[in-house]
Amino acid sequence: MQRSALAGPRPRTLVHPGPFNPVRIRSMCSPRSRHIRLSLQPGLSLFDALVQPLAALGIRNASTTILGGGFAQLDYCVAPADPSRAAVVAYSRPICAGRTWMVFGNATLGKGLDGSPLVHCHAAIRTEDGALRGGHIVPSTSRIGDTPIPVLVTSLDGFELRVAYDAETNIALLQPCEETP
Amino acid sequence: MSAAPGRPKQARTAGEAEGTPVSAARQPEDTPVASTTNVETGSMGRVAYARIAPNEDLVQGVEKLCLAEGFQHAFVRGALGSLVDACVGTLDGGRQYIRGPAVEIVSLAGEVRLQADGSLSAALSGVVADPQGCIFGGPFVAGANPICMTFEVTLEEWLPAPSP
Repeated sequence: MQRSALAGPRPRTLVHPGPFNPVRIRSMCSPRSRHIRLSLQPGLSLFDALVQPLAALGIRNASTTILGGGFAQLDYCVAPADPSRAAVVAYSRPICAGRTWMVFGNATLGKGLDGSPLVHCHAAIRTEDGALRGGHIVPSTSRIGDTPIPVLVTSLDGFELRVAYDAETNIALLQPCEETP
Repeated sequence: MSAAPGRPKQARTAGEAEGTPVSAARQPEDTPVASTTNVETGSMGRVAYARIAPNEDLVQGVEKLCLAEGFQHAFVRGALGSLVDACVGTLDGGRQYIRGPAVEIVSLAGEVRLQADGSLSAALSGVVADPQGCIFGGPFVAGANPICMTFEVTLEEWLPAPSP
């Protein structure tokens, strides 16, 4: 990291392993969204606390804002350069942060490669020793603490988010697609 | 927010600038103000989700998403992804660079506004985590935050009520 008043490094254009895709913005739109206030319930994994109540409402695709709260256990990954060079970067092994305060997070709900629910979450956290950290949260092993955590859900209706292989980056990514039954 | 000096402007949308309510606090200094108001009533309209590809700029990518979907004003309702390196503005008018790759976007809030000159301008503020997980924050500088692997963003269209 460096700091400068005016001049600084110019933005870098990285070379990815796969062919350049001429479509740079892939977007889908729906006329309206539903908004829901959800409370993530104590003791559940972040994954179950998000997916189960929304599935009960028929919501399988959504953008959510996690408004902050305590986790009994939280694991996160960072994304340094991929030593294998299969991709530009790769997620690290999960870092166990233990008991943690999530300062703010965003989680996207969609479908994985096999069609099952998938949660992609990034968040800023405060660890037990007071350090501020952030990264990709592991939803299946991170567990809500003693107090429910409020979440604002914006449903995405009329299209779906599905993980699909992206040849340019050589990883599987969430992409908006036409709905499948 | 004037964290983006010398930024290029999006193509003008003819006839859209007249009478558009614009908050004075959000006006870049060189932009004429069509009208000033502290309170703007309106409603939420359409909702768009996009995946923006590597090496595209975060701020201008969000503006181009609005062009693609025909949004004149929008709020960010969810965003996550990664940057090659991050660049945020500082209080003294400088810039702070956070070196990646990848720098993860862990929090992002902001809006897109139609400007009095007909251009679209996104003001995005957020928190990023470097490859060691250490976090930094501030306003993202337009043109200086290339996306690393992917950027997922949900925008909700804001429809200001017509002026009385």
